[in-house]
Amino acid sequence: MRENNDKDTRETIATLLVSGFPTEAFPRADSHEMILDIVARLHALPDDLAQKLTVAGFTPEPVDIDGLSQSCETCMYYLVHQRFCELPELLLPVEPEWSCRLWRI
Amino acid sequence: MPNMLWLQGGACSGNTMSFLNAEEPSACDLVTDFGINVLWHPSLGLELGENLQKMLNGLVSGEIPLDIFVFEGSVVNAPNGTGQWNRFAGRAMKDWVSDLCKVAGYVVAVGDCATWGGIPATAPNPSDSQGLQFLKRSHGGYLGTGYTSKAGLPVINVPGCPAHPDWITQIVVAVATGRGGELTLDEFQRPKTFFTSFTQTGCTRNMHFAYKVSATEFGQRKGCLFYDLGCRGPMTHSPCNRILWNRQSSKTRAGMPCMGCTEPEFPFFDLAPGTVFKTQTVMGVPKDMPTGVDKSGYIKLTAAAKAASPRWAEEDIFVV
Repeated sequence: MRENNDKDTRETIATLLVSGFPTEAFPRADSHEMILDIVARLHALPDDLAQKLTVAGFTPEPVDIDGLSQSCETCMYYLVHQRFCELPELLLPVEPEWSCRLWRI
Repeated sequence: MPNMLWLQGGACSGNTMSFLNAEEPSACDLVTDFGINVLWHPSLGLELGENLQKMLNGLVSGEIPLDIFVFEGSVVNAPNGTGQWNRFAGRAMKDWVSDLCKVAGYVVAVGDCATWGGIPATAPNPSDSQGLQFLKRSHGGYLGTGYTSKAGLPVINVPGCPAHPDWITQIVVAVATGRGGELTLDEFQRPKTFFTSFTQTGCTRNMHFAYKVSATEFGQRKGCLFYDLGCRGPMTHSPCNRILWNRQSSKTRAGMPCMGCTEPEFPFFDLAPGTVFKTQTVMGVPKDMPTGVDKSGYIKLTAAAKAASPRWAEEDIFVV
């Protein structure tokens, strides 16, 4: 059941991102304080997909910072086989080449 | 019959509770099997008032031999270096510590407060607390860098918050049975037999560490606690997953991040909000790497290991 839902949600997100949906991809969450701030904002959101994508700063392609490619694929919150972001404040189906500013390795 | 005295400075009694729960050997075994004479202990001592003072004075004068002096809790120096905030048996505890350490065969500091100052010495350290021979990472502490007991050893540090019961009793037995000379200590004067390996050594979540699968919430039965939940298991020296707690489990096995309590810096980041159960990162990379691992190696390994992770690593598995 979740797989079907995930597929639909993933496609919805992909359509949004590819169409240029504006998100807060920058500044990246470089410091611990910024991470706490963004996570707190996510925590306070209603269950609204577009707002989650905006605050987390999703992009349809990896963002390179200091030679590091910040893609979902290498992020600690990413479940490889489920193509799923397990950050409790997001819990979203994603694609490996996407990125968000809460990326951590 | 070796005499052992146990005193308590700036302490919560956690190490006393731990000691009384020891199993291999137990506190009773120290007396019945190893012939240790427990002169006095905060929870077991019978002497009170003048009788206790008389005994302590007898130890200081050498009339009663003091083979093992165990100290729990920080050395409190406040106010103004007098130590009067922690009085015991008619005088500042720190003065008893000075006098007793001069005559003791061995001195054993039990728990973080006695070893490095622990939580009482966390900034701003209002009680002006020190460990016996360290203040956090800084060598010296209350007794100074050059201190050695009559047996020729510096203070033997058995850290932890609390120290594991059996670390305490096994070290006491070692020195009571004349094997103190066989103890090898690390740079922080911790017995190497306990503090060479890491908390991670023996952790049941090691496969998740290897495949870079993270636990993201407490209570999950999968995932490594290092990546997101602030676990310090890969850089903390302790045998918590070799010598299990209550012979059953450990923090990490039960889903609780290691807080690094056997290291001098504990509590890390001075307990600033948001620092205890959250892995600190800079530009998305952990601030504190597993011991011996450099940043570029970590990044390369992570990308490769994550790509190779099996499906089962993402699902619940019994790690408790």
